[in-house]
This record gives sequence, C-alpha cells and structure tokens, in this order.
Amino acid sequence: MKINDWNRIKVLTLLAVLAGVFLISSCETNPDPVEDEFGKLRFSFAHRIDGQAIVFDDMQYINKAGNNYLVNEIQYFISDVILHKNDGGELMLDAWEDIHYVDTDLENTQIYAFKDEIPVGNYNKITFTFGINEQKNQTLMFVNPPESFMFWPEYLGGGYHYMKLNGKWLDTLNQVSPFDFHLGIGQIYHSFPDSITGFIQNYFEVELPNSSFEMKSGQTLDFTIVLNVEDWFQSPTVYDHNQWGGDIMQTQEAMKVACDNGWDVFSIEK
Amino acid sequence: MKVFNHIFEIKRIRLSFNKTVFPAFESVFVILFFILLFQSACNKPPQEEPYTPTPYQLEIPFGFPTKLNIPEDNPMTVEGVELGRYLFYDGRMSGRTHPDSLMSCATCHLQANSFECGIDHPEYIGGFTHGITGKPTHHVMLPLINLVWNSSGYLWNGKIYPDNPLPQYRNIEDLVWMGVIAEHEMNSDTNRAKEVIQNIPGYPELFNKAFGSETVTFKNIGKAIAQFIRTFITANSRFDKYMRGELQLTQSELSGFVLFTTEEGADCFHCHGGFGNPLFTTHLYYNHGKDTVFTDPLDRFMITGDPMDHGAYKATTLRNIEVQGPYMHDGRFETLEDVIEFYSHDVKWSPSISPLMHHVNRGGVQLLPAEKEDLLSFIRSLHDEDFLTNPDFSKPPKFPDEQ
Repeated sequence: MKINDWNRIKVLTLLAVLAGVFLISSCETNPDPVEDEFGKLRFSFAHRIDGQAIVFDDMQYINKAGNNYLVNEIQYFISDVILHKNDGGELMLDAWEDIHYVDTDLENTQIYAFKDEIPVGNYNKITFTFGINEQKNQTLMFVNPPESFMFWPEYLGGGYHYMKLNGKWLDTLNQVSPFDFHLGIGQIYHSFPDSITGFIQNYFEVELPNSSFEMKSGQTLDFTIVLNVEDWFQSPTVYDHNQWGGDIMQTQEAMKVACDNGWDVFSIEK
Repeated sequence: MKVFNHIFEIKRIRLSFNKTVFPAFESVFVILFFILLFQSACNKPPQEEPYTPTPYQLEIPFGFPTKLNIPEDNPMTVEGVELGRYLFYDGRMSGRTHPDSLMSCATCHLQANSFECGIDHPEYIGGFTHGITGKPTHHVMLPLINLVWNSSGYLWNGKIYPDNPLPQYRNIEDLVWMGVIAEHEMNSDTNRAKEVIQNIPGYPELFNKAFGSETVTFKNIGKAIAQFIRTFITANSRFDKYMRGELQLTQSELSGFVLFTTEEGADCFHCHGGFGNPLFTTHLYYNHGKDTVFTDPLDRFMITGDPMDHGAYKATTLRNIEVQGPYMHDGRFETLEDVIEFYSHDVKWSPSISPLMHHVNRGGVQLLPAEKEDLLSFIRSLHDEDFLTNPDFSKPPKFPDEQ
C-alpha cells in the first residue's frame, strides 16, 4: 500500500468518527418532547368555622344543634387523591404513598406537594378518601410520629384514626366538657363493650365541588383544601354533643352520623 | 552534616550516570532509604492512636420509630458510648475528688429503677432528690429510657427541645452541663469538672479514641454521656414479647390492655400509646386534671406562654413504670394503685384541662375494682427486667485510672 493510500484512509476514518460524534451529540441535545407535557399540583390546607379561620381554644362557636363549642386541635388523614378526566379516565396520585397527615399544630403537614407529575389537559373534578381505605389502613404502617400517634387500637379495629377533632362544649349543666370527635373503624357489639362481632369501615370518598381545572405545560397549581368544621355537625343530620357525649370511638351510630355529614366538609379554593 | 554528605554522594553518582547506570541506581536507593530512615527517626510523631471511631449500631425494636434523635454533630460511636459509660458513673464528674463530695449521674439515676431515682432510693427518701448541698430538686425525676426516640422535649415541661432558639437547651448533651452546675444537683462548674477528668489517668486516651483529641472539653463530656444514654433501650417486656408473637398475655393482662386502649375503659392510649405506639408515651404535654389552681412556675405554660398549658406536663412513658415512683411531676402519688385511683375517681376540671380528659365532669373513668386490678396487670407487663439488669448499662467494674 502506498503512503497516499494510507493518508486517504486516515482522512476518511477521521471524517467517519467526526460524523458519528456529531450524530450522537445531536441526538443527545434534542429536547425531550415529553418533558413539557406535565405540570405539578400542590395542596395547602385551611381550617375554618363559618367561613373564618379558626380561633383555637375560644368558646365562640355555635353549631347547628345550638352547642357552644371551641376547637383545640384537628388531626386527620386524606388519601387516594384522584384526578378525573373529561373522558372518564382517572389518575390516582402518588398511589400507596398518598396517605397524607394534616395537623393544625404542625405547619409542615399543611402542605401536600404531590410527587407525581400531572399530564396536561382538562380535569373535571378531584376526589379523595377521607381517612384511609380498608386495604391501606394497616396497623404499624406508620411507626414514626406524628402519624404513629394516630393509631386506632387493635381491639377497636386497628389501623389509624381517620381524624381527631378535639374541643370542648358547653353541656346541658352549663359545664365546659371536653369532646373527642374521633373517627375511624367502627365496631358491632354483641354486648357492649366486651363482645365485638364485626367492624365497619367508615372512610368515605370526598368529591370536591367546583374542582375542575386545566393543567398547562410546566405549570405548578396551588389549591387550598378547606375543612369547614361546622359542616361535621349539620347536614344531613344535626349532631348534638349533648346526645353523643365526649367520646365516640366505640359509638358507631355517632361516627355514622359524623361520616354522613362529612360529604360537604371539604371545599377547594383555586 | 550526614545529610549533606548524602546529597553530595547523590550528585556525584548522577554525574557518572551514563557510565555506571545500574550500580549507581542501587546506590541511590540505598542512600535514599537511609535518608528517609534518618528523617523519620528525627520527626517521630507523638504516640497518639489515630482517630478511627467505630460507628455504634442501634437496633430498632419491632414497632418502634425509625427516626432517631441523634444530633448531626454527635454521631454514636462504640468509643463514645464506652467513654460515656465511665463518665455517667464517675463521681468525679462533680469536679471534686474527696470521697465525701462525689456525685455522678448515676447517684440519682439508678439502672434498677429505670435510670431514675425510684421510691426506694437509699439516700433520697421517698424518691425526692436533692443536690449535693441538700437543695431539693424542683420536680421528681423522669426515667432515662428510650430517649433516642424523644424529639418533643426533655424534662417535665419540655424546656430542652431540638429547635430551641437557645442552642444550649436542645438535647441530652445539654442536660449534662445543666446537671453539673445546678444548685439542686452537683452544684459545681463545668471547668472544674473538665479539669478533674483531664487529670485522671486513662481518660485522655479514651477521649482521643472517642473524639480524636486527648484534650478534655466539656462539650465532649456531654456528647459522650448523651451517647451512652441513647443506648438505654427497653423493649423486651412481656408486652413486647406479646407484640412479637412470642407469648400470650394472661387473661387479666389482656383485659387490662383492652381497658388501656378503649375510651369506655381506662382511656390511657391517646397519651400513653399502645400497640401502634410502643413507646407508651407521645412525649407531649397535657393538663390531665390533677389540680384546679396552678402555682408551679415550671409547668408547660412557662415554656409556651399558652394559657391552655397551665398545669400541663409531659406524659411519661409507662415502660418500667412500676419502679419509677413516686408519680406525677411532684411525686404526689406513692403507688400505681394511687395513680389508677386518681384517674378513676379524682380528675379535676380546670379551664386548661386537656380535651382528651373527656371523663373529667364525672371525676374520671370510674373503673371497678376488678378493672383496676386488670389495668395494673397490664401496666406491669411493661416491666423489662432484662433492661434493668443489662450489664452493658451497669457501672463499669473499674474506672480508667484503676485499669
């Protein structure tokens, strides 16, 4: 082989390598067309009575039953947040990691930033589970506080409280009496309180009214989920603390009234 | 001079490199070897062992939290824990050496009593502690158990907590210096304590192993003792074994467990835990109805300024509670029977009563005599004798200067 041939081979090889590098690098630098077709969603939580932010530990509220009452603290779980599309499709966010704890004493719990990216498009409503569904509500799945402090005793059905709403009301003797409006798994008693024959799952689905929205490319939407305390006590059944007393974890009838009333407790502000 | 000669020799060899390459190389290596040997002999470092502490692995018992309260600047090490054990038990931590004046953490915190005083302490009659000069401690003691899971504050009022804006009041480390200087405890000063420890043979070496310096600082004293205290894990009671499926509780214990965890029973679980919270405390603060008038200047209100915290104190863990009398912040109850009687019939209303005390307007949970017995049986199932006698937590057979 002559020297000129060698030179020609070297030049051609060099050109081929350069062309390869150019092609590869041009592939890498192409923007990902999928990346911009998502947005993010974040909930913050607000807690109100009669449309105003709660003034805690102040006996200034009157419920539908006429009970004067105060609220000391509210702690609860929401889970299974689902975005419903116009075409009937559903998107559950952060599945199995979506049990979110909210505590009026802990600010860091009052923001729920979803990990999942939300595809752009129109959604006609948002729903979630108040509490935790039967499949997910397993004892010791939270071992760290504050969630672990929400455990629901094994004897009463296990898992976790859906909610603790603690406060006080002015009872019929004009005494300030504590109430623990606690919701979770109910019990069926053969003879109260020693013989339990079954359990009742009291969690329920919340459909947020006026929760349609459009997710745009690269957007982060911040929605406020409002818990309106007075709604626990008024519709469809008036809840009277004088009737149900200070504790209801072992009173399924009271929890049933409360959960039936829960349909309109939550609202959304966009 | 010798070094100069060596250098001269090297120069001469290099000049003749081309002529006698390999013999010259050999000579160079030999000379270099001696130079290095000479230099290393002259610059010999002090005989300090390198700082290579061994990480201490805490085993998390079944059902316990996985988040631990271990400050970033005080990771647990085997050497730190070992040093902490000596210091915890060494009466010279009081900054004094006369046998009459010694006082250590262990003077009051007895292992047999869950690292608190206990009602049967030989010196502190009835469980009421006082300092070295006789000044009484403001509150009775709290046990030093499972504290690595407490992030909600130490002491009855939670004065010590991790995000305290005052950095000297944040964690177990800080309880050490507080104990040394407090009039109602050691009534000493940290400099004196530090100097005494520095001058005890054996301790500087242990500090070097634990923290990389033989110089004793009080900060490192606090760190070592805190590390030792964080190893105090009690999780092998009958109830723990029940949780792990290793045994069945007695019928009385089971009945007591049901009472413990039901609102219509004794209603203990919201503050004192249970199967889902095996710490048997929330480490939070409640006014649970002991009084109607509050005069203690060191209650939770002192920390928060929240009127709803008048008369509120930490919910203590019920693990090993049987050996932790007297009970309540002021030790007003001598026995667990007294405590159960209080919760059953003598709870008092006040404006700041915790909402969790929903039985208050009928005086308590109204347990029947048999129910009180069952509840007591269950509470006794939280007794962990293995912990109370674990040699790893006991006084070392010899202190560093006695080895």
